[in-house]
Amino acid sequence: MKRIAIDPITRLEGHGKIMIFLNEEGKVDNAFLQIPELRGFEKFVEGLPIEEVPRVVTRICGV
Amino acid sequence: MAFEPRIVGFLCNWCTYTGADLAGTARVKYSPNIRSIRVMCSGRVDPVFVIKALYEGADGVLIGGCHPGDCHYQEGNYKALRRYLLLKRILPEYGIDAARVRLEWVSASEGERFGHVVDEFTEEIRKLGPLRIKESLLESMKDDVAHHGEEHQAPTGEAR
Amino acid sequence: MKLKIGIYWGAACGGCDVAILDTHEKLLEIADMADIYLWPVAMDFKYSDVRAMKDGFLDVALFSGGVRNSENEEIAKLLRKKAKVMIALGACAQLGGVPGLANMYTREDILKRVYLESESTTNPGGVLPLESARADGHDLDLPRLYNAVKTLEQVVDVDYTIPGCPPASLQIYSALGLIADDMLPKKGSVIGAGDRALCDECPRKKGEKTITKIYRTHEKLPDAETCFLEQGFICLGVATRSGCGSRCIKSWTPCRGCYGPLDDVADQGIKMLTALASVIEPKEEKDINAVLDQVIDPVRTFNRFGLAASMLRRRRT
Repeated sequence: MKRIAIDPITRLEGHGKIMIFLNEEGKVDNAFLQIPELRGFEKFVEGLPIEEVPRVVTRICGV
Repeated sequence: MAFEPRIVGFLCNWCTYTGADLAGTARVKYSPNIRSIRVMCSGRVDPVFVIKALYEGADGVLIGGCHPGDCHYQEGNYKALRRYLLLKRILPEYGIDAARVRLEWVSASEGERFGHVVDEFTEEIRKLGPLRIKESLLESMKDDVAHHGEEHQAPTGEAR
Repeated sequence: MKLKIGIYWGAACGGCDVAILDTHEKLLEIADMADIYLWPVAMDFKYSDVRAMKDGFLDVALFSGGVRNSENEEIAKLLRKKAKVMIALGACAQLGGVPGLANMYTREDILKRVYLESESTTNPGGVLPLESARADGHDLDLPRLYNAVKTLEQVVDVDYTIPGCPPASLQIYSALGLIADDMLPKKGSVIGAGDRALCDECPRKKGEKTITKIYRTHEKLPDAETCFLEQGFICLGVATRSGCGSRCIKSWTPCRGCYGPLDDVADQGIKMLTALASVIEPKEEKDINAVLDQVIDPVRTFNRFGLAASMLRRRRT
């Protein structure tokens, strides 16, 4: 079983990798997109003063 | 060995440090747990000194200054009070009991009182137990290492 | 000889990369003086390409984003080997940045909220990401999510820092110019920024500060000319390095400290605490407390960008 890794995926914002598994005939058996990042904005904005939230969540993506 | 609190004291030269000195010459018996550092004024005490003392192993920090109105530099002790009150508010957010930092006004003639303050504070810290900030930080981050090819399950959840 | 540079991002938002692109036509000058061998946002180089490089092949690695998981740390260490000079680009690399606020929580708190509790998530099986798992007969792995965000210098030796969230584009350009002209200052320096507090470049008028009331930014309209702190708004400019061009101030918004601390400041957040407390007017404990009651989120305001770099680093668990 051969395995091809596209790591990292590029020309977008964020982290990602694609794992492609080939069978004995060299045909694609399965492929998986994985996201190897997590920062947790959903959690750490809890309790922030509401007027500060826009200044924080703009840092989710700078693109 | 039972826990012996380690207390760092930032004591102002004109009042508290002199009061501590008086406790010494008058042979006042008090807990030996305080390590005294002389500063010229309680207003010299930057909260970063307090945090650093706690981080480096102190279980409690005492700031000693002149009574309000008596500061040798007029208003330094008011600055100390303002900084201390704000510092107390942030400690619990980090999971540190605010009682571990204390501000006391002790004058140069209050040798006995200095001994009482240290005794009382030491017992309070003894009840709170050791702080060990560095140890708990390292403990919380002990799995924060880059691994290669090792099987490792996350604490909860399952794959479908 | 063109410089060989690699640009990478850890736990990042891409804003620092956009800041490089926002040098606009100066990007052509950058392209003249450097060949880029890694830049995920813009170019298709892979980790395997970096692993294949000889040690020290790259002249400079620009690393933005914090270290939130084992992959971030691995690539930071990989680039440290493959590059002669390692530069922390932006607030996240220097201080942990906004994602550093997650240090008030544990990784379990984060996983629970993101995958199980958040209102817009549908996850009836309660599936959480795992470091290794088997799916349809295949082995898959993910980096380990750390319990705390780390700064770049907490994992590798950092030669220089270009601060900011994001760093001002012109500052990135001038820092790259220093590299190209071989005019870098001593190792460990912050480049592309000033060596004084923001107040030094801030256009507002500064006078005596005696604060009797603290206002949240929506509670009153500031006047056009006076220092924000004097008007009772919390502004971190007093504890923050200059160099940003006062872009927030010029947008009528008080500073939140993204350019990080000045030299020799051990903890920017505590420095801000000291500065704010020092200019509060009352002398009686209860009056002081009445003003301090109005400081509503001190830890995450004073350490908005620098929690991961602060002395206490995280909430104790």
